[in-house]
Amino acid sequence: MRILALRLFNVKRFAGRGVAIENIGEGVNVLCKPNEFGKSTSFEALHALFFQPHTSTAGEVRNLRPYSGGTPVVQADISTEAGQYRITKQFYTGKSARVEDLVSGRLIAQADEAENFISDLVQGGAGGPAGLLWVRQGITGIEKRSKAEEDNEKQVRASLLESVQGEVEAVTGGRRIAEIMNKTSISLDALVTPTGRPKSGGRYAIACDERDRLAVAERALEADVQQLRAALDERATAMRQLTELQKPDEKAKRVADITIAQSAIETARQLADRLKAAEAELALARERHQAAHSENERFQDAVVEVKSLEALTHKANLKRDDAVAKRQDTTATIDAARMEAEAAEKEASEARQLLARLDAAEKARTAADRLVELQRRLQNAETARETIEAAEAELAQVKIPADAIDELQDLDVEIVQLRTLRDSARPTVSIRYEPGHTGSVSMNGAPLIDGQEHGYDGHATLVAPGIGTIALRSNQPERSDDQLEQLVAKRDALLSAMGVADLAAARARQVEAQKLEAQINEAKAVLRVLAPEGMPALRSEIAAITPDEAEEIELKADPVATRQVLEDAEHRRQQANQKARDAEPVRERAEGAFVGAQTELATLAARMQQTAALLGPADLQETKETELQDRLAKLSEDLEQAEAQAEALRAKTPDLESLRAAHKRLVSVDQGIDANIGQLRETIAGLNAQIKARSDDAVEEQWSETKDALEAAQMRVAGFEAEVATLQRLATALDSARSDARDLYLKPVMAELKPLLRLLFDDVAITFDDKTLLPQTILRNGQQEDVDRLSGGMREQLSVLTRLAFARLLARDGRAAPVILDDALVYSDDDRIEKMFDALHRQANDQQIIIFSCRQRAFQQLGGNILQLSDWDPT
Amino acid sequence: MFRFIHSADLHLGKRFGSFSGDLPGRLREARHNVLARLADDAHSHGASAILLAGDTFDTETPAPDVRRQALAEMAQHKDIRWVILPGNHDSLQAAQLWSNLRNEAPDNVVLAVDPSPIALAEGVALLPAPCTTRRPGRDLTEWMDACATADGMIRIGLAHGAITEFSEDKVASDVITPDRAVKAGLDYLALGDWHGAIEVNPRTYYSGSPEQDRFKHDRPGEALLVSIAGPSASPQVDRLRTGTFVWQSLDLHLLDGEDPVQALAQLLPSADRRHSLARVQVSGNARLAARTALAHAAADMAHDFAWFELEDSELVTVCEVDDLDQIDKGGALRQAADALLAEGRDDRRSEQDRGVANAALARLYAFAQQVS
Repeated sequence: MRILALRLFNVKRFAGRGVAIENIGEGVNVLCKPNEFGKSTSFEALHALFFQPHTSTAGEVRNLRPYSGGTPVVQADISTEAGQYRITKQFYTGKSARVEDLVSGRLIAQADEAENFISDLVQGGAGGPAGLLWVRQGITGIEKRSKAEEDNEKQVRASLLESVQGEVEAVTGGRRIAEIMNKTSISLDALVTPTGRPKSGGRYAIACDERDRLAVAERALEADVQQLRAALDERATAMRQLTELQKPDEKAKRVADITIAQSAIETARQLADRLKAAEAELALARERHQAAHSENERFQDAVVEVKSLEALTHKANLKRDDAVAKRQDTTATIDAARMEAEAAEKEASEARQLLARLDAAEKARTAADRLVELQRRLQNAETARETIEAAEAELAQVKIPADAIDELQDLDVEIVQLRTLRDSARPTVSIRYEPGHTGSVSMNGAPLIDGQEHGYDGHATLVAPGIGTIALRSNQPERSDDQLEQLVAKRDALLSAMGVADLAAARARQVEAQKLEAQINEAKAVLRVLAPEGMPALRSEIAAITPDEAEEIELKADPVATRQVLEDAEHRRQQANQKARDAEPVRERAEGAFVGAQTELATLAARMQQTAALLGPADLQETKETELQDRLAKLSEDLEQAEAQAEALRAKTPDLESLRAAHKRLVSVDQGIDANIGQLRETIAGLNAQIKARSDDAVEEQWSETKDALEAAQMRVAGFEAEVATLQRLATALDSARSDARDLYLKPVMAELKPLLRLLFDDVAITFDDKTLLPQTILRNGQQEDVDRLSGGMREQLSVLTRLAFARLLARDGRAAPVILDDALVYSDDDRIEKMFDALHRQANDQQIIIFSCRQRAFQQLGGNILQLSDWDPT
Repeated sequence: MFRFIHSADLHLGKRFGSFSGDLPGRLREARHNVLARLADDAHSHGASAILLAGDTFDTETPAPDVRRQALAEMAQHKDIRWVILPGNHDSLQAAQLWSNLRNEAPDNVVLAVDPSPIALAEGVALLPAPCTTRRPGRDLTEWMDACATADGMIRIGLAHGAITEFSEDKVASDVITPDRAVKAGLDYLALGDWHGAIEVNPRTYYSGSPEQDRFKHDRPGEALLVSIAGPSASPQVDRLRTGTFVWQSLDLHLLDGEDPVQALAQLLPSADRRHSLARVQVSGNARLAARTALAHAAADMAHDFAWFELEDSELVTVCEVDDLDQIDKGGALRQAADALLAEGRDDRRSEQDRGVANAALARLYAFAQQVS
C-alpha cells in the first residue's frame, strides 16, 4: 500500500478549516516544518483514519476534535496493487466511512464494509504486524498511553525502547505470551510434575490418593458386606433346618420307629430257628431219596450193560478168528521165499569165488609184461645218462663264455684303431731311390722300401749305405698315455685265460662247445621220455612189482559166463527176499489184530463179571427190581413233604440282616439329628455374633457411602485430568505458536535488520531473550550492553531500523506498507542522522517512507520528496 | 371411609458419600425428618395409617441409631398405625434387622413381614407382599388373588418392586403384574420402589420417595393421601408435598449471542436455593466471552445452593474474529488461539481432543483477559 495524499478537516488546531498534503510519492517524503505547524496533527489523523472505527469516540478520536468541537474529517488517497482508492472518515456527528475508486469516483464500500476494507489494508492478512510501521517519537501509536505518560520526559526513553520491544511483541506476543505461559505453567505445576505425574502434595495428587484410598476402603467394605450377607443367608438356612429338626412329633416318631424295628427283629429271629430245623429235615430226606434213586439207576444200567457186553464179546471173537487165519497164511508165504533166497545165495557165492580167481590170474600176467618193459627203459635211461655226463665233462673243457669272445673282438678292433691313429701321428720317412740305384737305406735296421712311408718313434737311425748313418729325431714328447699297451695287455690276459692263441682259435672253441651242448640236450630229452619222473621213480616202480603178482595162474573157466551165473543167482535171491518182505507187514497186522481181539475179550469178560455181581443171581433179578422201585417212590413222597414245609417257613421268615440294617439306620438317623441340632445351634450362635457386630457397624451404609464417595473422587480426578490436559494443550499451543513466530518473523526480521545496523554501527549485534523474545543485549565492539542502558539516540535509531526491517520484510512478502515517522529521530547527532538518512534512502527503493519532523536544518540533508501543507476545502 | 398415607422408599440412613461437607448430614437428617412430616400430614388430613411400601431403610443393616430413632419418631405419633413392608433394600433376608425391629417396634408399628392379611382397621384388610430376599425372582403379590377376606372389607395391597421393565435398581426379573389390583380384587394397591409418584391405574399407585435422593425425577418428594369411601369405591388419591430438598437436573440451551448469565439466572429456581441441588447441563453455542462469563456466574451462584454443578462439555464454543482479537490481534498469541480454534472445529479429531482444544482456547481467553 502507498499513500498518495492526506487531507483533514476540522482536526485539532485546524478548527473549521482543512489542510491537505498532496503528492506524496514513492521513496522518502519529508514534511519538515517548525513546531505547531500541524505535523503531529496530520500523523494522528492519518493513524485514526486507519486504526479507529468511524463510530469510535475513544481517546484518540476525541483528541482529533478541536476545542470548539465539531466533526473531524480525514481523507487519504491510497494506491494498492488492486487499484487506487479514496478513503474518507468522518467522526462524531454524521459519522461515516467511505471507500471510493479514485479514478471513477465510484463508491466501493461504506460504514462497516469500509472498515473491513481498511482493516484488510493495514493488517495485510492474519498474524501480520499491523501498526508497527508507524513510529512517533518511539511510540507505536497503537499502544494506549496516558497523556501524562507521554509528556513525561523520562518515560520517553523507556517507551523508545519499548517501541522496539513492541515490534517484537506484536509479532511474538512478547510479554503477554510469556506471562500467559507463565500462568499456564504455574497452574500446571500446581497439579503435575514436569513429567506429567500428579505432583505430590498438590490437589491433583491428593484427589488421586483419595480415590485410591476410597477404592481400597470400598473393596474392603464390599467384602465385609458380602460376608455379612453370606452370614445372614447361612443363618437363615441353619434356622430353617433347626426348626425342621426340632419339631417334637418328629422325635417321637423316630423313637417309635426304632422300637418297631427292634420287635420285628425278635419275631424274625424265632422264625429263623424253626426254619433251620425244617431245612435240616429236608436235607436228610433229600439225601435218602438221592441214595435210593442212585441205586435204582445203577441196577437199570447194569441190565442194559449186560446186553451190550454180550454183543461186544461176540464181535471180538469174530475179529480174533479172522486174525489167526491171516497170520497162518502169511507165515507160509514168508518161509517159502526165505528158502529160495538161501539157494540163490549159495549159487552166487560159488560164482563169485571163481570170478575172483580169474581176476588174480589176469593181474599177474599183466605185471610180468610191465616188469620187462620197465627194465628195458631203465637200461636205456642209464645209457642216456652216461652220454650226458661224458658230454658235459667235455663241454666244461671247451666252454668259453660268450661275452669273452665279444670282448676279445672289441679289444682287437680298438687296438687296431689306436695303432692306426698312432702311426698316422708318427714322423715318417719315405724314400725315392734313384733309378739304377743299388742298395737301400735301412732304418733301425729295416730297409726302407721305395715309395713307402716308414714311421718311427722318438728317434731313428737311418743307415744309408755308402753315405753314412742318419740320425732322425722327432723331438716329439713321449706319449704320456699307454692306452694301447694296456689294451694289448688286457687282450693277452684274456687270451691266456681262455687258453687260446687268438680270436680265431677262440671262435673255433665256441663252435665245438655248441656242438656238445646240442648233444647233451638230445640225451636229456631221451632221458625225460624214458623216465619222466626220474630214474629213482623208475627203479622203485620196478621194485613195486612183487614176484607173486608176477606169478602166472592157469584157469580154464570163462569169466564172462561165470559173471552171468553170478548175476542170475543174485537176481533170484533179491526177488525171494522181496517176496518175504512184502508178506511181512500183512503178517504183523494179523498178529496185532489177534492181540487186540484177545485184549478186548479179556476186558469184556471182566466187565461182564462186574455187572453180573451187581445184578445178583439171575433168578432173583426181577424181585430186586420191584423192591427198588417201591422204595424210591416212598422216599420221593417224603422229600416233597419236607420241601413244602421248609418253603412255607422260608416265606414266613423275613431277612434278619436287612431288619438289623434298618434298625441301625433309624438309630443313627436319630443320633445324627441330635448331633446336627447341636451343631446348628453352635453355628447359629457363631453367626449371630458375627451378624450382630457387623449390623451394628452398619457396614452396608458405610459401603454405599464409600461407593458414592469413590465415584465422586473419580469424577474429581477426571476433572483434574481434564484440567491438566487443557493446560498442557494450551502450553503446547503457546509454545509452538511462539516458536513458529520466531521462525516466521523474528528470524527474517533479524536478517533484515543486520545490514541496516551495519550502516550505522560497525560490529553491532542484538540478542533477543529466548523466553520473552525481547531485545536483551547489544553486542558492540565485543562488549555486551544491556538494552536498557543504551542512549536515547541509540534506542531511537534501533527503533527506526527495526521498523524498516519489518517494512522490508512485508514488502518482500508482497504486502508493502508505508513507514511513517513523526519526529522519530530526536536524539540522534548529526553524524548518525546522516547515516540514518542513508539507511532510509536505501530502504526507500521499494518502500514509501513519510517523515514528519521539526528539525528543519538537520533534515535538509535528508533530501527526498519535500511535502507541503495546502488548504483543503472538503465541500 | 378409610384414609391413609401411602409412602415408600424412605431409605433411612442413606449416607450420600458423593457429596462433601455437611450436605450428606443435612440430606440424612431430611430423610429422618420426613417421618414427622408424614405424621403431621396424617394428622392434618385425618389419615389413620401410614403405609410404607418398602425400602424404609437404605440397607439391610442400618446403624442402630437410624433404626432406633426412626422407631422412636413413629412411637411419638401413637394414634397413627405405621406399617413397614420389607423392600428389596431391607428384605426379610436381613433377618437381624427384622428381629431387632420386632423387639423394638412400638405398638403402633406393624411389621408386614408375612404374606397374610392384616386387619388395618375395622373393615379394612391389608394384604402385604414382603420382599423375602433382595431379588425374589417372582411376583410376590400373586398370593393376593387367592386370599379371601370377609365380604364388605376394603382390600388394600402393599408391595414393593417393578411393574414393568423400569426399576430403581434395574433388576427386572421379578415384575409385579400391573393389573394385580383387578385380579386380586384390591381397592388399592400401594407400591414402592419407583422414587417418583406414578399412577399405574386408578387403583394402583407408586407413591414415590417422600424425600428425593437422586437427580432422576426432577420433582420434590411426595406422598399420597388415599381415601377409600368403601369396598369397591374408587380411591381418591391426592399428592402431598413432603420433600425438603429439591434435586433438579436442568438443561440450559444457549444460542449464540444470548446472555448466558441471564439465561442461567432465569433457569434456576430463585426460592430456597439452600435446599436445592441443581445440575445444569449446558448445550448450544456460546462465544468465548459468554462462556467465561457463564463459568464465572456458575461459580458465583454455586454458593447459593446446597449443591450446584454446571456441566458444559456439550456447549460449543463459537469463536468470531473479534473474540480472538481480544486475545490478540496478531502475533504468536493469536496464532496459538487460531490453532486451538481450528483444532476444536476439526471434525477429524476425536471428541475428546476437540474438547481439550476448546477448553484450552477458553483458558487462553481467560488468561489473556487477566494479563492485558
